[in-house]
Amino acid sequence: MKHKLSVMMLSWEYPPRVIGGISPHIYFLSKFLAKQDVKVYVVTCDFPGAPAHEVIDGVEVYRIDSYKNPSPDFATWVYLMNMNMQRETAILTRKLADKIDVFHAHDWLVANAGIGLKHVFRKPLLVTMHSTEMGRRDGLHTMTEKMIHETEAWLTYEAWKVICCSNYMISHVKYAFGLPSDKLVMVPNGVNIQNCEGNEDLSLFRSKFALPEEKIVLFVGRLVYEKGIHVLINAVPKVLSKVNAKFIIVGSGYMKEQLLNIVRSMGLEHKVLFEGFMDEPTLLKLQRVADVSVVPSLFEPFGIVALEAMAARSPVVASDTGGLSEIIEHDVTGVKVYPNNPDSLAWGISKVLLDQNYAKYVRDNAYRRVQEKYDWEKIAQQTKHIYEGVLGEYSKSFWANSLKP
Amino acid sequence: MRAIIFSWEYPPRVVGQLSGYVSTLSTQLAYNKVDVNVVTYDDSATGRTQEPSGVKAFRVANPVRNHIGVLTWVLTLNQEVERVAADIYYESKKQVDLIDVHDWHFVPAAVTLKNGLGIPFVYSVESLEDHRSPNANASYNMAIKSIEWLGFFEATAVCVKSNWMKEEVIRIYNVPKEKITVISTDPILFPKEALELYSRVAEAKKNET
Repeated sequence: MKHKLSVMMLSWEYPPRVIGGISPHIYFLSKFLAKQDVKVYVVTCDFPGAPAHEVIDGVEVYRIDSYKNPSPDFATWVYLMNMNMQRETAILTRKLADKIDVFHAHDWLVANAGIGLKHVFRKPLLVTMHSTEMGRRDGLHTMTEKMIHETEAWLTYEAWKVICCSNYMISHVKYAFGLPSDKLVMVPNGVNIQNCEGNEDLSLFRSKFALPEEKIVLFVGRLVYEKGIHVLINAVPKVLSKVNAKFIIVGSGYMKEQLLNIVRSMGLEHKVLFEGFMDEPTLLKLQRVADVSVVPSLFEPFGIVALEAMAARSPVVASDTGGLSEIIEHDVTGVKVYPNNPDSLAWGISKVLLDQNYAKYVRDNAYRRVQEKYDWEKIAQQTKHIYEGVLGEYSKSFWANSLKP
Repeated sequence: MRAIIFSWEYPPRVVGQLSGYVSTLSTQLAYNKVDVNVVTYDDSATGRTQEPSGVKAFRVANPVRNHIGVLTWVLTLNQEVERVAADIYYESKKQVDLIDVHDWHFVPAAVTLKNGLGIPFVYSVESLEDHRSPNANASYNMAIKSIEWLGFFEATAVCVKSNWMKEEVIRIYNVPKEKITVISTDPILFPKEALELYSRVAEAKKNET
């Protein structure tokens, strides 16, 4: 290779546009790939106030006009956005002449752009499947869900390699799209430990959320069915019967109104706070003061929020499902409870809140585990190896030959 | 000269009159020594065939079968059109003079190929969304109009079949009139006029590089 290994990363979100876990994932992956001497271009959707082009930590970030076309619904918006993303990425790639080595797409949200660019420039396409429609919806019920599922299948078909962030996701993706095993690679998601360090006194900060005698139970996630927030709400009275606590819910989603009504009807508005979306520095502090972090998901491809809590030294109670099952080792790095079971969840929360020594034990183990296994530097290294492996195979293909002048 | 024609209908698939028009156009161009490649949609007869005239037809199917509307259907189909066109480009040692895209359906593919590979395109107008759905301003119709607009904006030349349509394209999309060519509807004359337009577009591209 005459030049630096160069990757065109396609993602529908990148900070400051943060909708879910893909945004921080792309941010850290790109940043640490850049440290590994990989040239990374990120093409993503625009965000009010964010520039159309900037260089962040050595990463070239391009934000495209994603609301150019009126669209009747979300899914159609995605395909129209892909049309614009493809156009702008094609202009950029042509300008860079032959310098892009691989296209790396994240989820179906950039499927069309990734697939189109692969064929136009005859470069390999890699895909990271962060989630699946089948998993998000617990089956395929509507035309939209079937369409998205097929788009995902098409994307994984077109990809040279499909990266998943847990063994659970590997087997799920293999089943959902009928993929051969040798196409799948597991690279865990990472967490940035430096973010979670700090020695300042947080008692004043804590008092904004809870009384000194109240324990803090923290939930961070979108308020949607798959995150199992309704299971936590149903567990609230069961926990309160054993220990005085305040439940802090961070995040928003379509279930918010419904959940608020349940809390109101239980007469527990003073015990459950809905904080909505929260900025990262505040959230990190909150994770540090939380006595327990709860991840009651019904479907969780990876479970980054559990890792973040572990990095912030908050003990974790999580449902034994998906990627969470791999992150949490029961009674060692956290507590695993039965998914979709408020009694089991209440048991797990109470266990951590009532036994200080146990809480400290799992918290310290969890912090060590995060340092050992979920370090972005190692993850970027693994990803670079995958790129190199794919490029080695590609160099012997007729595609590589057809590009020679 | 090597040209790629994009049309969402081509025999045996007939939706409206565009199918017959593209068939006559491509046959006549082939008789005039143009290497004609028609990229079109067909649900079952996918793959490449060669007509007796020498026209090569490439039929693609939609990689996604379930859809919620024409827009999502068209937008996923575009990647297949793009794939086949890119294959033609690389197989011909990058010697493709232009793409002629008929109506809005495959405008997204033409736009990417122009910006990615430098292949200029002609946007041939059979009909416009404003006429197909008069006074419709639902986001569905507006999205189609925005794709038509993109086609007019990115095209090297616009080809219409009447002076009335030329005026309409100017009125609705503010396309500069120098960009628009009116060609005859006479089945004997129009392929020759189209070929003249193609030659102008290919020539302009050569002079540019």
